Amino acid sequence: MSALADMQSRMHAALIDPRADPAAQALFARDGRLGAAGGLAIYQRGYFLRIAACMREQFPALCHALGRALFDDFVADYIRDCPPERHTLYDLGRRFADWMEARRPDGDAPEAWVDFMIDLARFEYAAFTMFDAEGNEGNVFATSDTADSALRLQPAFALGRYRFPVASYYHAVRRGEAPLLPAPEPCHVALVRRDYITRTVPLSAPHYTFLSAMLAGSDVDAALARISARFGIDPMMARDMWCGAAGSRDRWIEWGLFVAVDAGPVKDL
Amino acid sequence: MPVAVADGRLAGLPRLGLGLGLRNVHFDAILSGEPQDLWFEAISENFMDSGGRPRAILHAVAERYPVVLHGVSLSIGSTDPLDRAYLASLKRLAQDIRPAWVSDHLCWSGVNGHNSHDLLPMPLTEESLAHVAARVRQVQDLLERPLILENPSSYVRFAHSTLSEPDFLRALAAETGCGLLLDVNNVYVSCFNAGSDPIAYLDAFPCERVVQMHLAGHQDFGTHVIDTHDRPVRAEVWELFRIAWARTGGAATLLEWDDHIPGFDDCLAELRKAERYMAGDTVSSGAAECARGGDGVSNPVGFLIPRAMASVMEDAA
Repeated sequence: MSALADMQSRMHAALIDPRADPAAQALFARDGRLGAAGGLAIYQRGYFLRIAACMREQFPALCHALGRALFDDFVADYIRDCPPERHTLYDLGRRFADWMEARRPDGDAPEAWVDFMIDLARFEYAAFTMFDAEGNEGNVFATSDTADSALRLQPAFALGRYRFPVASYYHAVRRGEAPLLPAPEPCHVALVRRDYITRTVPLSAPHYTFLSAMLAGSDVDAALARISARFGIDPMMARDMWCGAAGSRDRWIEWGLFVAVDAGPVKDL
Repeated sequence: MPVAVADGRLAGLPRLGLGLGLRNVHFDAILSGEPQDLWFEAISENFMDSGGRPRAILHAVAERYPVVLHGVSLSIGSTDPLDRAYLASLKRLAQDIRPAWVSDHLCWSGVNGHNSHDLLPMPLTEESLAHVAARVRQVQDLLERPLILENPSSYVRFAHSTLSEPDFLRALAAETGCGLLLDVNNVYVSCFNAGSDPIAYLDAFPCERVVQMHLAGHQDFGTHVIDTHDRPVRAEVWELFRIAWARTGGAATLLEWDDHIPGFDDCLAELRKAERYMAGDTVSSGAAECARGGDGVSNPVGFLIPRAMASVMEDAA
């Protein structure tokens, strides 16, 4: 290892864990107003505070749920175990939910609040990612006149399945409320962006299955067949859920879930 | 890219005048107002991989104003291999936006596959110079344009450094043909913390290679100063700017403001103060003093996360 590589490895290790190498300050000149330890401490402090501030922007509802002090403690442990890898700060929170799952503070005695925090982290990162994902703005969306066979999900679309009503909790925090931690309740949510506005769409279990099938490449007919088989729903009733008087078709088209394609071969899952 | 070619390309770069850092909070004001005699510097990483509103906004701004791209993650000094995916993405953005130039910092931001999201200082040695020069050449060849490198703010000096920062940058520019971005606030911050003379720094700096200058505010803790970009430019920095602007022959000048960002008009008013010093006015003591507190975190990259919850969410429930 070159002298330069060795120096960079030691300084970086000292940022990630200031206790790891107390001799790291010997890398630096002792003159100047800050001295070696004082100068290094500015980088060490800035490393954590900068990343914690970015994580609070990516997980505002989770920060609210945990309280800032506990949230920051989680972040400190997280970035020590999972130092940032990519050039973009958008990537900071990518591994956070999985890390919380692997390092659950309740150990062998699972507690519901930890499950909620993990689900909320997963939802928030998905919502944050949608902000700058590839989308369909500037291109044509499907309209109510588009044939079912030509409907496909647009790129800025994601599905989530959670053990708690994380989307409603998130929006309550966004409205400035102070929601209590919710009781467990299965929750299916779609995220979709149109005109650079991300919308959370609550879904029933059949709706979730329908959109999962479309996300995997099915067309509408195949997706309807999927929910009929999965939930034992009469095919006519399934179609009514889709395009009947109270069906979801027109509403979802209005919200920009679909683009129109030339109907070609599709996967029948 | 041969040095002579890079030199020729640098000589042909435009003198853009006064510009502002492009920040999310100003998007609407920039695009709704009448075009002004202004240019913008976009943080490359904010837009490189963007499929959402930021990229669309940058397109719209670039249609109305000159734009340059300023990076914080090239990590030109790192001993990790150059990130080819990053460079490819940067090149695609540059081909798309057609910036007047592309800049980054003389620093490293990570090693061993990790990223600190900070602009970490280089030991200023012959080994570092050879290492950085080789990488600048590779980047210039790949981007097909000269790279512009900025002097970072720093809080430590490596014990085994053998070169001054101006000498390092002079040699680097001579060996590679790269241009320089002179951040006069960084000069002040680094020199204050090192206990050295910022005027002597400017005297030694290769001003003939300067394509652009940065202005920004910093926080004064008495014993040391931190490059916070969260307040007006301080008098000491305006004085350095006055000297440097003349020596660079009127390099393009840009105001950075990255935390506690005021409204667009207030940022413009701060920027326009530069005109007085470009005309040769001396700086009155106490100018632009600001009492606002802060947490004193150096802020080279902390503004890169959009407040997605506040601005772009709707609940269809």
